[in-house]
Amino acid sequence: MDHTTHDIASAPLPTAKTLRARTGLLVQFERFLAINLKMAKIIRKEHR
Amino acid sequence: MARVVIMGGGIAGHTAALHLSRMLTRSDEIVVVTPNSKWNWIPSNIWVGVGKMKSEQVTFELAPIYKRKGIRYEQALATAIHPEGDASHELPFVELTYTDPTRSGQTDALEYDYLVNATGPKLNFGATPGLGPDGHTYSVCTSGHAVDASEALQESIARMKRGEHQVLVVGMGHGTCTCEGAAFEYAFNVEHEVRQAGVRDLADIVYLTNEYELGDFGVGGLTFTQQGFQTTSKLWTESLFRERGIRAVTGAHVTGVEDGVVHYEQLDGTDNSLEFDFAMLLPPFRGADLRAYDKNGEDISAELFAPNGFMKVDADYTVKPFEEWRAEDWPRTYQVPSYPNIVAVGIAFAPPHQISRPRKSPNGTVIAPSPPRTGKPSGIMGKLAATNIAAKISQGDAVQVRSASMADMAAACVASAGSGLRHGSAASMTMYPVVPDLQKYPGTGRSVKDTFGEIGLAGHWIKLALHYMFIYKAKARPGWHLIPE
Repeated sequence: MDHTTHDIASAPLPTAKTLRARTGLLVQFERFLAINLKMAKIIRKEHR
Repeated sequence: MARVVIMGGGIAGHTAALHLSRMLTRSDEIVVVTPNSKWNWIPSNIWVGVGKMKSEQVTFELAPIYKRKGIRYEQALATAIHPEGDASHELPFVELTYTDPTRSGQTDALEYDYLVNATGPKLNFGATPGLGPDGHTYSVCTSGHAVDASEALQESIARMKRGEHQVLVVGMGHGTCTCEGAAFEYAFNVEHEVRQAGVRDLADIVYLTNEYELGDFGVGGLTFTQQGFQTTSKLWTESLFRERGIRAVTGAHVTGVEDGVVHYEQLDGTDNSLEFDFAMLLPPFRGADLRAYDKNGEDISAELFAPNGFMKVDADYTVKPFEEWRAEDWPRTYQVPSYPNIVAVGIAFAPPHQISRPRKSPNGTVIAPSPPRTGKPSGIMGKLAATNIAAKISQGDAVQVRSASMADMAAACVASAGSGLRHGSAASMTMYPVVPDLQKYPGTGRSVKDTFGEIGLAGHWIKLALHYMFIYKAKARPGWHLIPE
Protein backbone atom coordinates (compact mmCIF):
# COMPACT_ATOMS: atom_id res chain seq x y z
CA MET A 1 0.00 0.00 0.00
CA ASP A 2 1.66 3.26 -1.07
CA HIS A 3 1.23 6.51 0.85
CA THR A 4 -1.64 7.79 -1.31
CA THR A 5 -3.71 4.63 -0.89
CA HIS A 6 -3.10 4.81 2.85
CA ASP A 7 -3.96 8.53 2.97
CA ILE A 8 -7.23 7.98 1.08
CA ALA A 9 -8.18 5.09 3.36
CA SER A 10 -7.68 7.26 6.43
CA ALA A 11 -9.25 10.47 5.04
CA PRO A 12 -12.35 11.77 6.82
CA LEU A 13 -15.65 10.54 5.41
CA PRO A 14 -18.54 12.99 5.24
CA THR A 15 -21.44 12.16 7.51
CA ALA A 16 -24.92 11.46 6.16
CA LYS A 17 -25.92 14.96 7.31
CA THR A 18 -23.08 16.54 5.31
CA LEU A 19 -23.99 14.54 2.22
CA ARG A 20 -27.64 15.60 2.55
CA ALA A 21 -26.54 19.22 2.89
CA ARG A 22 -24.45 18.94 -0.28
CA THR A 23 -27.54 18.08 -2.30
CA GLY A 24 -30.32 19.82 -0.33
CA LEU A 25 -31.94 22.40 -2.61
CA LEU A 26 -32.49 25.09 0.01
CA VAL A 27 -29.01 24.78 1.50
CA GLN A 28 -27.41 24.66 -1.93
CA PHE A 29 -29.33 27.69 -3.18
CA GLU A 30 -27.94 29.61 -0.23
CA ARG A 31 -24.44 28.23 -0.99
CA PHE A 32 -24.87 29.18 -4.68
CA LEU A 33 -25.39 32.80 -3.65
CA ALA A 34 -22.64 32.71 -1.02
CA ILE A 35 -20.00 31.16 -3.32
CA ASN A 36 -20.85 33.59 -6.12
CA LEU A 37 -20.47 36.47 -3.66
CA LYS A 38 -17.08 35.13 -2.51
CA MET A 39 -15.88 34.78 -6.10
CA ALA A 40 -17.14 38.25 -7.02
CA LYS A 41 -15.31 39.76 -4.01
CA ILE A 42 -12.05 38.12 -5.05
CA ILE A 43 -12.43 39.26 -8.65
CA ARG A 44 -13.24 42.82 -7.49
CA LYS A 45 -10.19 42.81 -5.22
CA GLU A 46 -8.00 41.66 -8.09
CA HIS A 47 -9.28 44.40 -10.37
CA ARG A 48 -8.60 47.19 -7.83
CA MET B 1 -3.27 53.20 -38.83
CA ALA B 2 -1.82 50.20 -37.00
CA ARG B 3 -2.21 46.50 -37.64
CA VAL B 4 -2.42 44.08 -34.74
CA VAL B 5 -1.99 40.42 -35.60
CA ILE B 6 -3.21 37.86 -33.07
CA MET B 7 -1.96 34.33 -33.51
CA GLY B 8 -4.50 31.99 -31.94
CA GLY B 9 -8.25 32.16 -31.38
CA GLY B 10 -8.56 30.42 -28.02
CA ILE B 11 -9.48 32.04 -24.72
CA ALA B 12 -6.49 34.45 -24.62
CA GLY B 13 -6.40 35.32 -28.33
CA HIS B 14 -10.17 35.67 -28.75
CA THR B 15 -10.42 37.82 -25.60
CA ALA B 16 -7.63 40.07 -26.92
CA ALA B 17 -9.32 40.37 -30.32
CA LEU B 18 -12.74 41.27 -28.91
CA HIS B 19 -11.36 43.88 -26.50
CA LEU B 20 -9.18 45.41 -29.23
CA SER B 21 -12.25 45.68 -31.44
CA ARG B 22 -13.83 48.07 -28.93
CA MET B 23 -10.60 49.85 -27.94
CA LEU B 24 -9.17 50.68 -31.38
CA THR B 25 -10.49 53.00 -34.06
CA ARG B 26 -11.89 51.88 -37.40
CA SER B 27 -8.66 52.92 -39.10
CA ASP B 28 -6.71 50.26 -37.18
CA GLU B 29 -6.80 46.67 -38.30
CA ILE B 30 -7.13 43.57 -36.11
CA VAL B 31 -6.27 40.24 -37.72
CA VAL B 32 -6.80 36.88 -36.04
CA VAL B 33 -4.76 34.02 -37.49
CA THR B 34 -5.94 30.66 -36.21
CA PRO B 35 -5.97 27.22 -37.83
CA ASN B 36 -9.34 26.39 -36.29
CA SER B 37 -12.69 27.54 -37.62
CA LYS B 38 -14.41 27.13 -34.25
CA TRP B 39 -14.04 28.51 -30.75
CA ASN B 40 -14.25 25.91 -27.98
CA TRP B 41 -15.24 26.45 -24.34
CA ILE B 42 -12.74 23.83 -23.22
CA PRO B 43 -13.83 23.59 -19.54
CA SER B 44 -17.10 21.97 -20.69
CA ASN B 45 -15.33 19.33 -22.81
CA ILE B 46 -15.42 17.03 -19.80
CA TRP B 47 -19.23 16.97 -20.11
CA VAL B 48 -18.93 16.15 -23.82
CA GLY B 49 -16.54 13.39 -22.78
CA VAL B 50 -19.22 11.67 -20.70
CA GLY B 51 -22.05 12.28 -23.18
CA LYS B 52 -23.81 14.99 -21.17
CA MET B 53 -23.26 17.66 -23.84
CA LYS B 54 -22.87 17.61 -27.59
CA SER B 55 -19.85 19.07 -29.35
CA GLU B 56 -22.08 21.84 -30.80
CA GLN B 57 -22.92 23.02 -27.27
CA VAL B 58 -19.30 23.84 -26.47
CA THR B 59 -18.17 25.26 -29.84
CA PHE B 60 -19.25 27.92 -32.34
CA GLU B 61 -18.00 29.29 -35.68
CA LEU B 62 -15.58 32.20 -35.32
CA ALA B 63 -16.11 33.76 -38.77
CA PRO B 64 -19.56 35.33 -38.15
CA ILE B 65 -18.43 36.84 -34.83
CA TYR B 66 -15.32 38.39 -36.39
CA LYS B 67 -17.32 39.69 -39.36
CA ARG B 68 -19.76 41.41 -36.98
CA LYS B 69 -16.94 42.91 -34.90
CA GLY B 70 -14.92 44.13 -37.89
CA ILE B 71 -12.03 41.75 -37.21
CA ARG B 72 -10.16 40.24 -40.15
CA TYR B 73 -10.02 36.48 -39.82
CA GLU B 74 -7.44 34.27 -41.51
CA GLN B 75 -7.96 30.55 -41.02
CA ALA B 76 -4.30 29.66 -41.14
CA LEU B 77 -1.43 28.32 -39.11
CA ALA B 78 1.33 30.78 -38.23
CA THR B 79 4.65 29.08 -38.89
CA ALA B 80 7.34 31.76 -38.46
CA ILE B 81 7.89 35.22 -37.02
CA HIS B 82 10.22 37.79 -38.60
CA PRO B 83 10.30 40.48 -35.88
CA GLU B 84 12.71 42.69 -37.86
CA GLY B 85 11.21 42.11 -41.29
CA ASP B 86 13.58 40.98 -44.03
CA ALA B 87 15.04 42.15 -47.33
CA SER B 88 11.61 42.38 -48.94
CA HIS B 89 9.56 43.46 -45.89
CA GLU B 90 10.27 46.73 -44.11
CA LEU B 91 7.84 45.83 -41.33
CA PRO B 92 7.93 42.74 -39.12
CA PHE B 93 5.75 39.91 -40.39
CA VAL B 94 4.51 36.39 -39.73
CA GLU B 95 4.47 33.54 -42.23
CA LEU B 96 1.22 31.61 -42.53
CA THR B 97 0.01 28.42 -44.11
CA TYR B 98 -3.72 28.40 -44.76
CA THR B 99 -5.92 25.68 -43.29
CA ASP B 100 -9.04 27.32 -44.75
CA PRO B 101 -10.42 24.60 -47.08
CA THR B 102 -10.66 27.09 -49.97
CA ARG B 103 -6.93 27.94 -49.76
CA SER B 104 -5.55 24.92 -47.95
CA GLY B 105 -1.77 24.69 -48.11
CA GLN B 106 -1.23 28.18 -49.58
CA THR B 107 1.34 30.33 -47.80
CA ASP B 108 1.42 34.06 -47.19
CA ALA B 109 3.26 36.77 -45.23
CA LEU B 110 1.33 39.13 -42.96
CA GLU B 111 3.00 42.33 -41.74
CA TYR B 112 2.22 43.65 -38.29
CA ASP B 113 2.84 46.60 -36.00
CA TYR B 114 1.94 44.61 -32.88
CA LEU B 115 1.85 40.84 -32.49
CA VAL B 116 -0.03 38.80 -29.88
CA ASN B 117 1.16 35.21 -29.57
CA ALA B 118 -1.81 33.31 -28.15
CA THR B 119 -1.12 30.05 -29.94
CA GLY B 120 -1.93 27.92 -26.89
CA PRO B 121 -0.43 24.49 -26.51
CA LYS B 122 0.64 21.87 -28.96
CA LEU B 123 -0.88 18.64 -27.63
CA ASN B 124 2.33 16.65 -27.38
CA PHE B 125 0.98 13.10 -27.49
CA GLY B 126 4.25 12.08 -29.16
CA ALA B 127 6.14 12.57 -25.88
CA THR B 128 4.74 9.25 -24.61
CA PRO B 129 4.72 6.23 -26.93
CA GLY B 130 1.19 4.93 -27.45
CA LEU B 131 -0.51 7.96 -25.90
CA GLY B 132 -3.50 9.67 -27.48
CA PRO B 133 -6.12 9.21 -30.18
CA ASP B 134 -3.55 7.75 -32.59
CA GLY B 135 -2.43 5.38 -29.84
CA HIS B 136 -4.39 3.58 -27.16
CA THR B 137 -5.90 6.30 -24.97
CA TYR B 138 -8.55 9.00 -25.25
CA SER B 139 -8.37 12.72 -24.53
CA VAL B 140 -10.81 15.55 -23.77
CA CYS B 141 -8.50 18.36 -24.95
CA THR B 142 -10.68 19.16 -27.96
CA SER B 143 -14.41 18.70 -28.41
CA GLY B 144 -13.71 16.10 -31.12
CA HIS B 145 -11.46 14.13 -28.78
CA ALA B 146 -14.15 14.36 -26.10
CA VAL B 147 -16.80 12.92 -28.45
CA ASP B 148 -14.53 9.93 -29.12
CA ALA B 149 -13.89 9.51 -25.38
CA SER B 150 -17.63 9.56 -24.70
CA GLU B 151 -18.31 6.85 -27.27
CA ALA B 152 -15.60 4.62 -25.79
CA LEU B 153 -16.89 5.23 -22.26
CA GLN B 154 -20.44 4.30 -23.33
CA GLU B 155 -19.02 1.08 -24.78
CA SER B 156 -17.39 0.30 -21.42
CA ILE B 157 -20.65 1.03 -19.61
CA ALA B 158 -22.49 -1.27 -22.04
CA ARG B 159 -19.98 -4.02 -21.25
CA MET B 160 -20.57 -3.52 -17.51
CA LYS B 161 -24.30 -3.80 -18.11
CA ARG B 162 -23.55 -7.17 -19.65
CA GLY B 163 -21.81 -8.14 -16.41
CA GLU B 164 -18.18 -7.52 -17.39
CA HIS B 165 -15.74 -5.88 -14.99
CA GLN B 166 -14.00 -2.78 -16.37
CA VAL B 167 -10.91 -0.85 -15.31
CA LEU B 168 -11.22 2.84 -16.18
CA VAL B 169 -8.02 4.88 -15.92
CA VAL B 170 -8.13 8.67 -15.98
CA GLY B 171 -5.25 11.06 -15.50
CA MET B 172 -2.03 12.45 -16.88
CA GLY B 173 -0.09 10.87 -19.73
CA HIS B 174 3.36 12.22 -18.81
CA GLY B 175 5.32 13.36 -15.76
CA THR B 176 5.30 17.02 -16.84
CA CYS B 177 1.62 17.41 -17.72
CA THR B 178 -0.52 20.32 -16.57
CA CYS B 179 -4.32 20.69 -16.17
CA GLU B 180 -4.61 18.11 -13.39
CA GLY B 181 -7.93 19.76 -12.51
CA ALA B 182 -9.43 18.65 -15.83
CA ALA B 183 -8.38 15.03 -15.30
CA PHE B 184 -9.74 15.19 -11.74
CA GLU B 185 -13.07 16.45 -13.11
CA TYR B 186 -13.22 13.78 -15.76
CA ALA B 187 -12.47 10.99 -13.24
CA PHE B 188 -15.35 12.09 -11.02
CA ASN B 189 -17.72 12.62 -13.95
CA VAL B 190 -16.94 9.11 -15.16
CA GLU B 191 -17.63 7.78 -11.65
CA HIS B 192 -20.91 9.73 -11.59
CA GLU B 193 -22.00 8.34 -14.97
CA VAL B 194 -21.11 4.77 -14.04
CA ARG B 195 -23.04 5.12 -10.79
CA GLN B 196 -26.04 6.63 -12.60
CA ALA B 197 -25.93 3.69 -15.01
CA GLY B 198 -26.27 1.32 -12.03
CA VAL B 199 -23.01 -0.53 -12.66
CA ARG B 200 -20.68 1.14 -10.18
CA ASP B 201 -19.81 -2.18 -8.52
CA LEU B 202 -18.31 -3.43 -11.80
CA ALA B 203 -16.02 -0.43 -12.34
CA ASP B 204 -12.56 0.01 -10.91
CA ILE B 205 -11.77 3.70 -11.47
CA VAL B 206 -8.12 4.75 -11.11
CA TYR B 207 -6.81 8.33 -11.14
CA LEU B 208 -3.22 8.26 -12.40
CA THR B 209 -1.39 11.52 -11.81
CA ASN B 210 1.99 13.21 -11.82
CA GLU B 211 1.01 15.19 -8.69
CA TYR B 212 3.11 14.30 -5.63
CA GLU B 213 -0.07 14.15 -3.60
CA LEU B 214 -3.77 14.54 -4.28
CA GLY B 215 -5.10 18.10 -4.24
CA ASP B 216 -1.88 19.59 -5.65
CA PHE B 217 -3.58 20.58 -8.96
CA GLY B 218 -0.24 21.89 -10.25
CA VAL B 219 -0.38 24.86 -7.89
CA GLY B 220 1.26 23.23 -4.88
CA GLY B 221 -2.12 22.58 -3.23
CA LEU B 222 -4.29 24.98 -1.28
CA THR B 223 -4.78 25.78 2.38
CA PHE B 224 -8.08 27.22 3.51
CA THR B 225 -10.30 27.64 6.53
CA GLN B 226 -13.24 25.31 7.08
CA GLN B 227 -15.41 25.21 10.18
CA GLY B 228 -12.81 26.91 12.33
CA PHE B 229 -9.83 24.85 11.15
CA GLN B 230 -7.19 25.39 8.54
CA THR B 231 -7.37 22.43 6.21
CA THR B 232 -5.63 21.45 2.99
CA SER B 233 -6.82 20.56 -0.48
CA LYS B 234 -4.91 17.27 0.04
CA LEU B 235 -7.14 16.13 2.93
CA TRP B 236 -10.25 17.50 1.24
CA THR B 237 -9.49 15.73 -2.07
CA GLU B 238 -8.55 12.45 -0.37
CA SER B 239 -11.87 12.56 1.45
CA LEU B 240 -13.69 12.87 -1.89
CA PHE B 241 -11.70 9.95 -3.35
CA ARG B 242 -12.62 7.82 -0.32
CA GLU B 243 -16.28 8.81 -0.46
CA ARG B 244 -16.55 8.01 -4.19
CA GLY B 245 -14.37 4.89 -4.12
CA ILE B 246 -11.81 6.07 -6.67
CA ARG B 247 -8.27 4.71 -6.39
CA ALA B 248 -5.31 7.01 -7.00
CA VAL B 249 -1.72 6.56 -8.11
CA THR B 250 0.36 9.69 -7.50
CA GLY B 251 3.85 10.79 -8.52
CA ALA B 252 3.58 8.87 -11.79
CA HIS B 253 5.28 9.47 -15.13
CA VAL B 254 3.65 7.44 -17.89
CA THR B 255 6.45 5.92 -19.94
CA GLY B 256 4.34 4.20 -22.56
CA VAL B 257 0.93 2.81 -23.40
CA GLU B 258 0.18 -0.45 -25.16
CA ASP B 259 -3.20 -1.84 -26.08
CA GLY B 260 -4.88 -2.17 -22.68
CA VAL B 261 -1.76 -1.54 -20.56
CA VAL B 262 -0.25 1.68 -19.26
CA HIS B 263 3.34 1.63 -18.03
CA TYR B 264 4.58 4.24 -15.56
CA GLU B 265 7.50 5.13 -13.36
CA GLN B 266 6.85 6.51 -9.89
CA LEU B 267 8.82 8.96 -7.79
CA ASP B 268 10.29 6.09 -5.75
CA GLY B 269 11.92 4.87 -8.98
CA THR B 270 9.76 1.77 -9.41
CA ASP B 271 8.36 0.77 -12.80
CA ASN B 272 4.74 -0.33 -12.73
CA SER B 273 1.97 -1.30 -15.11
CA LEU B 274 -1.79 -1.05 -15.00
CA GLU B 275 -4.17 -2.93 -17.25
CA PHE B 276 -7.20 -0.97 -18.44
CA ASP B 277 -10.33 -1.26 -20.54
CA PHE B 278 -10.76 2.49 -21.03
CA ALA B 279 -8.18 5.23 -20.49
CA MET B 280 -8.39 9.01 -20.80
CA LEU B 281 -4.91 10.42 -20.27
CA LEU B 282 -4.11 14.07 -20.97
CA PRO B 283 -0.98 14.84 -23.01
CA PRO B 284 1.86 17.11 -21.98
CA PHE B 285 1.89 20.52 -23.66
CA ARG B 286 4.61 22.22 -25.62
CA GLY B 287 4.68 25.48 -27.54
CA ALA B 288 3.37 25.77 -31.08
CA ASP B 289 5.76 24.87 -33.89
CA LEU B 290 6.94 28.43 -34.57
CA ARG B 291 10.36 29.60 -35.73
CA ALA B 292 11.80 33.11 -35.57
CA TYR B 293 14.27 34.80 -37.94
CA ASP B 294 16.15 38.11 -37.85
CA LYS B 295 16.49 40.66 -40.65
CA ASN B 296 19.19 38.57 -42.34
CA GLY B 297 17.22 35.35 -42.13
CA GLU B 298 19.30 33.95 -39.25
CA ASP B 299 17.33 31.61 -36.97
CA ILE B 300 16.76 33.38 -33.63
CA SER B 301 14.24 30.87 -32.28
CA ALA B 302 16.42 30.11 -29.24
CA GLU B 303 16.33 33.80 -28.32
CA LEU B 304 12.54 34.02 -28.49
CA PHE B 305 11.49 30.57 -27.32
CA ALA B 306 12.30 28.32 -24.36
CA PRO B 307 13.35 24.72 -25.19
CA ASN B 308 9.74 23.60 -24.63
CA GLY B 309 8.60 25.93 -27.43
CA PHE B 310 6.89 28.52 -25.24
CA MET B 311 7.76 32.17 -25.82
CA LYS B 312 10.13 33.91 -23.42
CA VAL B 313 8.69 37.13 -22.01
CA ASP B 314 9.52 39.53 -19.16
CA ALA B 315 10.06 36.75 -16.59
CA ASP B 316 13.23 35.84 -14.68
CA TYR B 317 14.33 32.60 -16.32
CA THR B 318 17.41 32.14 -14.14
CA VAL B 319 17.59 28.49 -13.09
CA LYS B 320 17.42 28.34 -9.29
CA PRO B 321 16.28 25.91 -6.59
CA PHE B 322 12.68 25.80 -5.37
CA GLU B 323 13.61 27.56 -2.11
CA GLU B 324 14.79 30.60 -4.09
CA TRP B 325 11.71 30.96 -6.29
CA ARG B 326 10.07 34.35 -5.91
CA ALA B 327 6.77 35.86 -6.97
CA GLU B 328 8.80 38.48 -8.88
CA ASP B 329 10.12 35.74 -11.19
CA TRP B 330 6.75 35.73 -12.95
CA PRO B 331 6.07 38.02 -15.93
CA ARG B 332 4.08 41.21 -15.47
CA THR B 333 3.47 42.54 -19.00
CA TYR B 334 4.12 39.42 -21.14
CA GLN B 335 6.19 41.52 -23.55
CA VAL B 336 9.18 39.97 -25.28
CA PRO B 337 12.15 42.00 -23.91
CA SER B 338 13.98 42.35 -27.24
CA TYR B 339 10.78 43.03 -29.22
CA PRO B 340 8.30 44.92 -27.01
CA ASN B 341 5.71 44.97 -29.82
CA ILE B 342 5.32 41.20 -29.30
CA VAL B 343 3.43 39.74 -26.34
CA ALA B 344 2.80 36.09 -25.49
CA VAL B 345 -0.31 35.34 -23.44
CA GLY B 346 -2.24 32.36 -22.12
CA ILE B 347 -0.45 29.05 -22.44
CA ALA B 348 1.90 30.49 -25.10
CA PHE B 349 4.22 32.29 -22.66
CA ALA B 350 7.07 30.38 -21.03
CA PRO B 351 6.61 30.20 -17.23
CA PRO B 352 9.85 30.82 -15.30
CA HIS B 353 9.37 27.57 -13.36
CA GLN B 354 6.71 25.29 -11.92
CA ILE B 355 4.45 26.35 -9.04
CA SER B 356 4.43 22.93 -7.32
CA ARG B 357 7.75 21.76 -5.89
CA PRO B 358 9.51 19.87 -8.72
CA ARG B 359 10.62 16.32 -8.00
CA LYS B 360 12.75 13.68 -9.70
CA SER B 361 12.75 9.92 -9.36
CA PRO B 362 16.04 8.21 -8.35
CA ASN B 363 16.48 7.52 -12.09
CA GLY B 364 16.49 11.28 -12.77
CA THR B 365 13.02 11.36 -14.35
CA VAL B 366 11.33 14.71 -13.77
CA ILE B 367 7.86 14.16 -12.34
CA ALA B 368 6.48 17.63 -11.75
CA PRO B 369 3.22 19.24 -12.82
CA SER B 370 3.67 22.21 -15.13
CA PRO B 371 1.97 25.41 -13.99
CA PRO B 372 -1.65 25.78 -15.13
CA ARG B 373 -2.39 29.06 -16.94
CA THR B 374 -5.67 28.29 -18.66
CA GLY B 375 -9.13 29.78 -18.14
CA LYS B 376 -9.31 32.91 -16.06
CA PRO B 377 -5.56 33.76 -16.14
CA SER B 378 -5.61 33.35 -19.95
CA GLY B 379 -8.58 35.70 -20.27
CA ILE B 380 -6.96 38.30 -18.02
CA MET B 381 -3.71 38.15 -20.02
CA GLY B 382 -5.66 38.51 -23.28
CA LYS B 383 -7.41 41.62 -21.99
CA LEU B 384 -4.10 42.99 -20.67
CA ALA B 385 -2.50 42.53 -24.10
CA ALA B 386 -5.40 44.41 -25.73
CA THR B 387 -5.31 47.24 -23.16
CA ASN B 388 -1.55 47.76 -23.49
CA ILE B 389 -1.51 47.59 -27.29
CA ALA B 390 -4.43 50.03 -27.52
CA ALA B 391 -2.58 52.41 -25.16
CA LYS B 392 0.58 52.20 -27.25
CA ILE B 393 -1.31 52.86 -30.46
CA SER B 394 -3.12 55.89 -29.05
CA GLN B 395 -0.35 57.34 -26.85
CA GLY B 396 2.88 56.02 -28.33
CA ASP B 397 5.17 53.16 -27.43
CA ALA B 398 6.66 55.04 -24.46
CA VAL B 399 3.35 54.81 -22.55
CA GLN B 400 3.46 53.13 -19.13
CA VAL B 401 1.90 49.71 -19.72
CA ARG B 402 -0.27 47.85 -17.22
CA SER B 403 0.73 44.60 -15.57
CA ALA B 404 -1.04 41.41 -14.46
CA SER B 405 1.33 38.94 -12.84
CA MET B 406 0.02 35.50 -11.93
CA ALA B 407 1.59 36.24 -8.55
CA ASP B 408 -1.04 38.96 -8.12
CA MET B 409 -3.91 37.21 -9.86
CA ALA B 410 -6.79 35.28 -8.33
CA ALA B 411 -8.24 32.10 -9.74
CA ALA B 412 -11.78 30.86 -9.35
CA CYS B 413 -12.09 27.20 -10.32
CA VAL B 414 -15.16 25.03 -10.34
CA ALA B 415 -14.21 21.39 -10.77
CA SER B 416 -17.18 19.28 -11.78
CA ALA B 417 -17.64 16.01 -9.92
CA GLY B 418 -20.79 14.95 -11.74
CA SER B 419 -23.40 16.51 -14.00
CA GLY B 420 -27.11 17.00 -13.31
CA LEU B 421 -29.29 19.87 -12.12
CA ARG B 422 -30.54 17.84 -9.15
CA HIS B 423 -27.81 15.27 -8.59
CA GLY B 424 -24.68 16.99 -9.92
CA SER B 425 -21.84 18.22 -7.77
CA ALA B 426 -18.67 20.23 -8.08
CA ALA B 427 -15.78 21.49 -6.01
CA SER B 428 -15.76 25.29 -6.01
CA MET B 429 -12.35 26.76 -5.24
CA THR B 430 -10.73 30.15 -5.20
CA MET B 431 -7.11 31.01 -4.58
CA TYR B 432 -5.27 34.26 -4.28
CA PRO B 433 -2.70 34.62 -5.65
CA VAL B 434 -2.26 31.80 -8.18
CA VAL B 435 1.53 31.89 -7.73
CA PRO B 436 2.33 31.80 -4.01
CA ASP B 437 4.04 34.88 -2.60
CA LEU B 438 5.79 33.82 0.62
CA GLN B 439 7.07 37.34 1.27
CA LYS B 440 3.55 38.77 1.25
CA TYR B 441 1.79 35.75 2.77
CA PRO B 442 4.28 33.90 5.01
CA GLY B 443 3.36 30.26 5.63
CA THR B 444 1.23 29.15 2.70
CA GLY B 445 2.11 31.89 0.21
CA ARG B 446 -1.56 32.70 -0.29
CA SER B 447 -4.24 34.70 1.47
CA VAL B 448 -6.08 32.11 3.56
CA LYS B 449 -9.07 34.47 3.67
CA ASP B 450 -9.33 34.56 -0.13
CA THR B 451 -8.62 30.86 -0.66
CA PHE B 452 -11.46 28.45 -0.10
CA GLY B 453 -13.00 25.21 -1.27
CA GLU B 454 -16.46 23.70 -1.02
CA ILE B 455 -18.18 20.66 -2.52
CA GLY B 456 -21.84 20.50 -3.40
CA LEU B 457 -24.66 20.81 -5.92
CA ALA B 458 -24.28 24.61 -5.91
CA GLY B 459 -20.87 24.16 -7.56
CA HIS B 460 -22.49 22.35 -10.47
CA TRP B 461 -25.00 25.17 -10.92
CA ILE B 462 -22.13 27.67 -10.92
CA LYS B 463 -20.13 25.70 -13.49
CA LEU B 464 -23.20 25.44 -15.70
CA ALA B 465 -23.88 29.18 -15.31
CA LEU B 466 -20.25 29.92 -16.22
CA HIS B 467 -20.60 27.71 -19.32
CA TYR B 468 -23.50 29.81 -20.67
CA MET B 469 -22.03 33.11 -19.46
CA PHE B 470 -18.62 32.66 -21.11
CA ILE B 471 -20.08 31.38 -24.38
CA TYR B 472 -22.35 34.47 -24.37
CA LYS B 473 -19.29 36.65 -23.76
CA ALA B 474 -17.21 34.90 -26.44
CA LYS B 475 -20.05 35.42 -28.94
CA ALA B 476 -19.75 39.15 -28.17
CA ARG B 477 -23.44 39.51 -27.37
CA PRO B 478 -24.67 42.86 -25.95
CA GLY B 479 -22.81 43.80 -22.77
CA TRP B 480 -20.23 41.01 -23.23
CA HIS B 481 -17.37 43.19 -22.03
CA LEU B 482 -19.06 43.72 -18.65
CA ILE B 483 -18.58 40.03 -17.84
CA PRO B 484 -15.20 39.72 -16.11
CA GLU B 485 -12.53 37.44 -17.54
